[in-house]
Amino acid sequence: MTALQVSHVSKSFPGVKALNDVSMTMSAGSVHALLGENGAGKSTLIKIITGIYQPDSGSVTMNGTPVRFANPRQAAAGGLGVVHQERNLVTRFSVGENIMLDRLGARALSSVDYTAIHREAEKWLKLLDLEVDPRSIVSRLSVAQMQLVEIGKALSLQSKVLLLDEPTASLTPNESTVLFRILRRLRDDGVAIGFVSHKLEEVFDICDRVTVLRDGINACDTADLTKLNRGDVVQMMIGRAERITKRAPRPKPDVAPYLELDGYASGLGHRDICLSVRPGEIVGLYGLVGAGRSELARAILGLSKQLGGEVKVEGKPVHITSVAEALHRHGIGYVSEDRKQEGLILLHSVLANGGITIWRKLANRLGFLRDSTVHADVGPVLRRLELKTPSVYQTIGNLSGGNQQKVSVAKWIAAGVKLLIIDEPTVGIDIKTKAYLHDLIHELAGQGTAVLLITSDMPEMVDVADRILVMDGYRIKGEVENDRNYDAVSRAIMGFIHGRLAA
Amino acid sequence: MAAMASTDSGLTKAFDNDWIGPGVVSLAAAIGISVFQPAFLSSFNIFVLLSAISVNMVIALGQLVIIGLGQMNLALGSIGGLVAISFVGVIEKFGVPVPLALVLALAIGMFAGMASGYVIARTAISAFIITLAGLQIYKGINLGITEAQPFYGVPDLVKAFGNGSVLGPLPWLLVPAVLCSVSMWYLFNRMRIGRHILAMGCNPHAAELSGIDPKATIVWAHVLSGLLAAVAGVMLVAKLQIGQPTIGDDWLISSFAAPVIGGAVLSGGKVSVGGTFFGVVIIAIITQGLVIFNIDPFVVQIVLGALILWAVAINRLREVRIAKLQARGAGA
Repeated sequence: MTALQVSHVSKSFPGVKALNDVSMTMSAGSVHALLGENGAGKSTLIKIITGIYQPDSGSVTMNGTPVRFANPRQAAAGGLGVVHQERNLVTRFSVGENIMLDRLGARALSSVDYTAIHREAEKWLKLLDLEVDPRSIVSRLSVAQMQLVEIGKALSLQSKVLLLDEPTASLTPNESTVLFRILRRLRDDGVAIGFVSHKLEEVFDICDRVTVLRDGINACDTADLTKLNRGDVVQMMIGRAERITKRAPRPKPDVAPYLELDGYASGLGHRDICLSVRPGEIVGLYGLVGAGRSELARAILGLSKQLGGEVKVEGKPVHITSVAEALHRHGIGYVSEDRKQEGLILLHSVLANGGITIWRKLANRLGFLRDSTVHADVGPVLRRLELKTPSVYQTIGNLSGGNQQKVSVAKWIAAGVKLLIIDEPTVGIDIKTKAYLHDLIHELAGQGTAVLLITSDMPEMVDVADRILVMDGYRIKGEVENDRNYDAVSRAIMGFIHGRLAA
Repeated sequence: MAAMASTDSGLTKAFDNDWIGPGVVSLAAAIGISVFQPAFLSSFNIFVLLSAISVNMVIALGQLVIIGLGQMNLALGSIGGLVAISFVGVIEKFGVPVPLALVLALAIGMFAGMASGYVIARTAISAFIITLAGLQIYKGINLGITEAQPFYGVPDLVKAFGNGSVLGPLPWLLVPAVLCSVSMWYLFNRMRIGRHILAMGCNPHAAELSGIDPKATIVWAHVLSGLLAAVAGVMLVAKLQIGQPTIGDDWLISSFAAPVIGGAVLSGGKVSVGGTFFGVVIIAIITQGLVIFNIDPFVVQIVLGALILWAVAINRLREVRIAKLQARGAGA
């Protein structure tokens, strides 16, 4: 039974045709994958379905009735539940109040009946097997629990159509498994589920139908996923077969380490950290969420007190106390995990973001800075990265995620750093840009940059790193030489992590 | 986890209450001053102190609603001033009976607040700018009506309300202050509109996607703020016994200071009526204490500034600690 049908929808923005004659049919009792690279039009399509944008032409029907939601509130009232990529909870409120936020009372001055609110919320928490007291405050929950609360909230609207945008981006594999079990049950209860993800393994695990968008058109419209394999889907997404990225192991550079930590302890809780990165070497730092990897990067950059041990740069003991010192004196750069919050200034131009690290170097004697000077240094790097932007003066917030990430890498390349710490470079990034960023990391290392790569994406780790340090509980648990043998390497890594669990 | 839970329910939880810190400080200041100046505890002095606290509490509540929303209302004082002179003006010039004048006065306050709220909601321009413009406009109307001359025709009934006592040192002015405080506590904790204001202040995006009408919520908050400004304006007329055109000119700093000392977060989503009360009390005691000790008034300003910094620092420390606890909880 058709629950939601998108027919021949087109949408243009100044200068871009974002969607061109796109269709999709979601059925009750089915999990429908919506796939496409960044910039393919997925977000635009979701925004049209949920009433944030209005289509230029075409129509959306729910249960056979044409709908045209003026805003997301109307969409919710019309039985369309959406769980967005970013968390949308009022963290200071209780779980129950969040679920029932739009049903606290009939009138503005109505009193809130918390007993009834929490009783009603409890029903939805039970349905999701979420053992959380509806009275507990949301800010105390784990990310996975918050995710489930949002799903509960969407379902509590009696939604028969549920759209999930990258629901597993911040979940561990275990948490994803729990989520999928719940989604299967909802599907069996007759809910039509739309599922957007960049992780193809998940898509094949849970979805039965698929719609692929490419450059704003249907690469396929509601195909049967069971009749497709991974290669077919990737080919539809990028327009060619997936490149087999099996790189040969690289020889170990025979030089002194650029950065060495010996028995290092930080104010964030790291103890006995020993690691070294040589120029031209890519050292991976693997661990589960909460293992302390990003925190270690921050500590190295001087954002936490050094409580013990030794840090050496080019053999000389140093004491880094600020990011400015790390960059300007020691040539250490950091591509942060959260590019929107920490890596980029979204309202500023591509040029300003790309050049921010070298302003100090480029400013003339009076401290003045000219766009042309910055452009001379940043321009070639951006061209080399094949950045897609109408101009370098474009506001960076308007670019796609992949292109934003290119700029956040570009600024460090422009700065000519000797050691680049790269944290989760490809979260939420499409396959093509991902492969591209991997090539780029290799190219950088080939030119003699020392790279410390932090990622939770195992295939990425095995594909890119030369050797892998396994981290858990703010300590280094072991080291694996990477011979690109995926099974052996991943088993060795998991061994180090689970060694702890068994003990 | 167990250890964390036990510290949570014990001492830490007590300190997490926004009113405990300011409450202890108020008490200490009161005891300290009365040791050196027993006259501080005289019935008359307490009456004066409570009258000031009553008016300032209502002013602070008027700002608190907007802080809860994550905005600021710079026009609060000029709305209060306009209401004050209108209240006395209609009585003096047109002989309007007091109850009707009161209704009219409150309506003017609500209307002025609604106007700010509507423009902010409709244009999505920052409340800072809109209420800054409102401040000028309302003040201009005020001066146009009064030509900067006070209205003297405050009826005896109103005068009696402004400096009479219900019982011993308890002024009549305390009655509207208590009513407003209790209502606002109930509004923030138990009423749909209060919860929606705080939800908007905490996460406007989430609030809108959850089906809260952001425009209606913004307008509501500003109407309530205007209403409270009007109540405070009328209370001040009663207390001063005169329709001064300058009423409201000095509300701004303390209207922010008291809520912030009381633990409100200026970015919105977190307010405390109890904490705000003690914020008002601290400011009143310090202001009066310094007068008792014959200390220059400029010191009052410096002390007030230091208090605001202290309050903000405490809030910040608390947030950092909660973030750390969470990080540890997630890591464990």
